[in-house]
Amino acid sequence: MEQHTLIFQPSGRRAKVAAGTTILNAARKMGVGIEAVCGDNLNCGKCKVKVMEGDFPKEGITSSLGHVSRMAEKDKKVVRELHEEIASATSDEARAKAQRKLDKLKKKHAELASEEMEENMRLACSTTIHGDVLVFVPESSRTSEGVVSKAAGKIDIELKPAVRKYYIQMEPPELSDPQGDFERVRDAMEKQHGVKVETMDYRALQWLPDIIRHDDWKITVTVWNGKEVIRVEPGKVEMNLGMAIDIGTTTVAAYLTDLETGEVVMTESMMNPQVKYGEDVMSRITYCMLNPSTGLKELQDTIIEGLNRLVKNATEKLGYSHNDVSELTLVGNSAMHHILLGLNPEYMGAAPFAPVIHRSMDIKADRLGLNILPSGNVHIMPIEAGFVGADNVGCLISDQPHKRDEMTLLIDIGTNGELVFGNKERLISCSTATGPALEGGEIEYGIRATPGAIEDIRIDPATLEAKFKVIGSDKWSDGKMDMQAKGICGSAIIDGIAELFKAGIIRRNGQFNPDLSSPRIRMGKSKVMEYVVAWSHETAIEEDITINLKDVRAIQLAKGALYSGCQMMMRKLGVESFDRLAIAGAFGSHVDKEQAMVIGMYPDCDLNKVVFLGNAAGDGARIALLNVDKRAEADRIARQVEYVELALEEDFNERFGEAMHFPHMLDKFPHVEHLFFKEKTKV
Amino acid sequence: MAKSEKELIAGLADAVIHYKVEEARNLANEAVASGADAYKMTMEGLAGGMEVVSEKFDSHEYFVPETLLCAKALYAALDILKPHIKQEAGSAKGQVVLGVMQGDVHDLGKNLIKAIFESAGWQVHDLGRDVPLKKFVEEQLRTDSDIVMLSAMMTTSMVGMKKLIPMIKEKNPNVKIMIGGSPVSERTVDEYGADSTADNAPNALREAMTMLETLRKGLAKA
Repeated sequence: MEQHTLIFQPSGRRAKVAAGTTILNAARKMGVGIEAVCGDNLNCGKCKVKVMEGDFPKEGITSSLGHVSRMAEKDKKVVRELHEEIASATSDEARAKAQRKLDKLKKKHAELASEEMEENMRLACSTTIHGDVLVFVPESSRTSEGVVSKAAGKIDIELKPAVRKYYIQMEPPELSDPQGDFERVRDAMEKQHGVKVETMDYRALQWLPDIIRHDDWKITVTVWNGKEVIRVEPGKVEMNLGMAIDIGTTTVAAYLTDLETGEVVMTESMMNPQVKYGEDVMSRITYCMLNPSTGLKELQDTIIEGLNRLVKNATEKLGYSHNDVSELTLVGNSAMHHILLGLNPEYMGAAPFAPVIHRSMDIKADRLGLNILPSGNVHIMPIEAGFVGADNVGCLISDQPHKRDEMTLLIDIGTNGELVFGNKERLISCSTATGPALEGGEIEYGIRATPGAIEDIRIDPATLEAKFKVIGSDKWSDGKMDMQAKGICGSAIIDGIAELFKAGIIRRNGQFNPDLSSPRIRMGKSKVMEYVVAWSHETAIEEDITINLKDVRAIQLAKGALYSGCQMMMRKLGVESFDRLAIAGAFGSHVDKEQAMVIGMYPDCDLNKVVFLGNAAGDGARIALLNVDKRAEADRIARQVEYVELALEEDFNERFGEAMHFPHMLDKFPHVEHLFFKEKTKV
Repeated sequence: MAKSEKELIAGLADAVIHYKVEEARNLANEAVASGADAYKMTMEGLAGGMEVVSEKFDSHEYFVPETLLCAKALYAALDILKPHIKQEAGSAKGQVVLGVMQGDVHDLGKNLIKAIFESAGWQVHDLGRDVPLKKFVEEQLRTDSDIVMLSAMMTTSMVGMKKLIPMIKEKNPNVKIMIGGSPVSERTVDEYGADSTADNAPNALREAMTMLETLRKGLAKA
């Protein structure tokens, strides 16, 4: 079949792909992360990419819009006609009918409605390749984890995995040389590879006599940590797989990795199946406490089962067996860590938050019931302090603040906000009780970031009118169109509140401004003031979607906790500013850094100092999988980072209280204050 | 010129309402220096102000930050006035034992409760935070308090209430128990055998007043 060159920018990845392949499928194979929310159904419009025109001598290709499939001209015409029909409709019925038709068509071909089509934008899922092309993936289309993890981006790290495979050939035993099979392997390993193995896992040993004779005394030996043989396979086997897993409270991500190249060959993720026992860490710990004989086991079994499913799915998709995965590295917060290991989380769940163990652990997979190679190792990353878990250690070895001169303030936002601050001289950490509000929990109309969730809100300060976007569509609401909105996702709550504040609808203290009036500002059903983001005809839930004062209060508490945490960390180290503000976590990647600063989630700084790390915890697990030295380093930093219990600080409540104002009761925000609402002063 | 008693009371109330810490302190000193009735200053000035703060909290005009500051102003003045309150005049409305559950160091809510109750003339036995269970039982017995108030900000520490409440009730079946904190709900009250809960400090005070009335009526009958 005809092959064409495809290059993605800005990643620079290039490959030869078969004619007729869609851009999205090619991207997936090449490990370029393009958002595709609707599952290639042409209706979310998330996967927009720009097809470049012209000669690109540096890349050595001529790219042209003519080299990709065309938009259906016919549909384009229909859209135009429908628009005209709506405009000129004489009856409401006719207008509604045309509108319905248009909506349907738009849904099917969201691309056609896009104004961006004129700028050579195409939906990657429906555009096929028929010539050499250079494709630019705009930031809005890149997968959030994509940049750092899902995209299988190569982590810049020396390959030094714990698991290595060696091919050896041996002479068969004779009466004059009746040496044992294991000793024969041991000697061959030393002679042919200079590796001195010491032991062989019992199960591998049971396989050895038959396998060693299966293919003329040629076998592949899998060695862990340079000492222990964990598997023997007949003949020459090159594929060497491991998996890095990040167990989040809400989602679990797994990266099946080729240990010889460091490439992620398959990414799998799922909701943490423990969610049914409680959304947050505390409720799961409580479940264990309230069901002393069974709770912990239930939760442990649930996650192990889930992990086994991830391993199975990832390996089967590539035609491997779960036995081909020779090692796992795991990160997770302290509660996820304890529950996975079946260690009672009760005591780490309350002050003084002492965990059962800090240091990393290596446990044979079958001891935990994990279905990889039974003799394979499971490496559990270390814990820093009660609430600052292995996920945070993952962030540290990924972002490396302990090796930098600059002062880094690292924020990992989840149900708890974990902060690390410092540089190579000294690092301190703390945990702040942000609660679930920042992720949309405890918010009246808060929902998870799924299709239909409002993901972006804009309020015009002049008219006090709102427009919004939902996940799954790239259209802004116009007050009329049915947007099928279902609720507001966490990052959009931040957006919404920042917009309310910038428009002067809510004041610095969170109160609704009584001097402003708009149909959208009203006393709500729950007897508190509210602002209507989406009218019921724009929603799929047949009621108005609002942000009310209680939501504002919940965000005030959450962001106050985070901000005062940042402030106290800086005070602890006696500095007044930082050089980098690194935000980790999936939520962090979706939040708009300017909006977050406007509401005072973190201290004022040049926005260029704010960097998003994506799933840094997952990256940490991948790094540990690929390099054993990094495991030792993780253990070292985990013990070096000094944990600070903020609640014990004398003035904690006061600082917390001040930080609840938008953006802060006292601190100045020179970088964003021009965006704030100016109260009109009476002359 | 020295301020009249009325001016002092109004000034103290205003200092609490508008969280003017310095002014609260100055006025309290002035009151003491002029020989004004410290009990009256406290009850009518400070407590009167705190009542307005409660109203503002109820009407959502004030939130945690403002209330914290009001409490700060309140204590600035109260610390000065308290030593001058004559014992009999200051006989408490009721007595509460107050503390944050073992394993929990979040005491913001507890401190607000304390401020509201003290300003309303209650005697508050504050055990602080991360309080061992038996300490609550002992303190209730020692002080013969009418109400024990337990605060928890984490479900993990809230669970301790389940064990603690029977411990307290066993020693003294008449004592009323109020629980509070973000994970506490009406359901928790039923499940754990507490008597009531409140979602904020002013409501807690109202609840406590009702409970105290019931208690006193019960005692009068007996």
